[in-house]
Amino acid sequence: MFKKNFRHDNLAAYAMLTPILLGSTIFIIVPFAYAIYISFYEWGFYQAPVFVGFKNFYVNLTDELFTKAIWTGLKFTLYVLPTQLVLGFLFANLVKGLKGKFASFVKAAIYIPTVIGLILAGVIFLFIYDYLGGLANYVVGWFGLEPIAWLAEVRTALPAITVPAIWTGFGITTLIMLAGLLDISESYYEAAEIEGAGTFGKMRHITLPLMRNIILFLLVTGFTAQISQFELPWVITNGGPVNETATPNFYILQHFLNDVLIGRSIAAALMFFVVLGAISLVIFKVLNSEKAVDG
Amino acid sequence: MRKSTWTWSRIFTTILSLVVTGITIFPLVWMGLAGFKSQEEVLAAPLKFFPTVWHFENYTSILHDPLFQKAMGTTFLGAITFMILSVAVNAAAAYAFSRLEFSFKKFWWVYVMTTYFIPGFAITITSFVVVSKLGMLDKLAVLILPGVASAYSMFFIRQFYLNIPLALEEAALIDGANRFQIFTRIFLPMSLPPFVIIGIGAYLGYWNAFVWPVMTMTNENWFQIGQYIFNFRSGRVAEMHLLMASSFLAALPTVILFLIFQKYIVANLKMSGLK
Repeated sequence: MFKKNFRHDNLAAYAMLTPILLGSTIFIIVPFAYAIYISFYEWGFYQAPVFVGFKNFYVNLTDELFTKAIWTGLKFTLYVLPTQLVLGFLFANLVKGLKGKFASFVKAAIYIPTVIGLILAGVIFLFIYDYLGGLANYVVGWFGLEPIAWLAEVRTALPAITVPAIWTGFGITTLIMLAGLLDISESYYEAAEIEGAGTFGKMRHITLPLMRNIILFLLVTGFTAQISQFELPWVITNGGPVNETATPNFYILQHFLNDVLIGRSIAAALMFFVVLGAISLVIFKVLNSEKAVDG
Repeated sequence: MRKSTWTWSRIFTTILSLVVTGITIFPLVWMGLAGFKSQEEVLAAPLKFFPTVWHFENYTSILHDPLFQKAMGTTFLGAITFMILSVAVNAAAAYAFSRLEFSFKKFWWVYVMTTYFIPGFAITITSFVVVSKLGMLDKLAVLILPGVASAYSMFFIRQFYLNIPLALEEAALIDGANRFQIFTRIFLPMSLPPFVIIGIGAYLGYWNAFVWPVMTMTNENWFQIGQYIFNFRSGRVAEMHLLMASSFLAALPTVILFLIFQKYIVANLKMSGLK
């Protein structure tokens, strides 16, 4: 009786695990298995599934709009991610020099756009891009230029919706960069100064190599987040003009909402997931190929 | 020789930081001010920074809109419930995985962690099929339950529990406490830091969710705040002043909550993402 079993706590463990196991199974594992299964079927809410093999995948791959959506997603990511990383890195270096209350104020203030969410960010920028009374055209007017129909022109629509994406991600990128910068021991910089290194030299030979893992982390997570973007096109442009801002997820969700048969949108989602995973993996491999310097 | 505290470089850094912070915050200020303008003025050229007449009634009319009240109320209720459930469910699992020995532990660990690598959008559509078969559509539960089990949150809390010394619970075990008592009396009181991070993350995730509510909530009385704003944007975009007022009000609870807890969030960013 005294010998309490310390090793096996089956009852307690399963009681504590039941909620997470049920939740994971019902809302993640089952839908995922179901998605793989149904992607090989033609199926709607009102008819029995019919096996069609790879037809759903084939239909998507031969749909110009799907391949265009993937390109749009990549272009969008290519505009947003490097801008965000560079701005975040530069500003983090600046904030690192601030002290006390003012530093806390800056850190809190720049993070606010991140927390308000993409729907509100989209609505604000819809207002800013208004042709007649919007702030963007007002600023353009300072330079003596004609007003631009930001959201209606093929040339400007996609770059226009990258601005709210950069805006909402700027704060969190900066703060993660800052956390990384503060981890770098001051002694490295002092040693480099004695060796006669300038600001640029220190940045190039100390800061960037030691920030490698953080930049990698931000690249991979940022890539996934940006290429999955659909809220901003949804709220601001509705994918227009002529599908110019239809990102992959926008395309998938539009098809799901409008098509009678859903196998095709599910196949598209799975394919997009594979493309995305592959690209994340490539980024990871390329950047990790040179061994990161230990801090 | 003592350096003066206000060197040129420090003045430059301070001013530049102020400018960047100002630009970052400006769109929100602009939205708030637009909410006070009249319909004619809000999109009139040339722009005026401040409204000529402050129309407080824009804000009060939104606050008195029953659909806005319901959307804010249910979103808040849902977000709080979601937050509590997320913390409770994932903390319990984190404790089991970090401290208990049980059959098939390794299997369940892999099982739960696998879900981390399944992206939400790959399963959005089939999750919709699942919840509709379960009869959950148009009920608040459909917005709350599907996201509760989270490998990420569980893993995050588990990392924290692994750092709690074993000695504490061994003493309690010898005193005859069972595993639940150890969890509730020793672990829970120490768990505030990870709980705040996971809790705020859950709250924000719920509050800012969009596509899932759009798919699963068709009853106007149960619309979430994101849906309310989006419907406003689709149906009444001509009333830009009211759209801005309602969006500003919708952002307010989040911003206030963030400012209260920002110390934790900012200090723990590193912990949350990188380690």
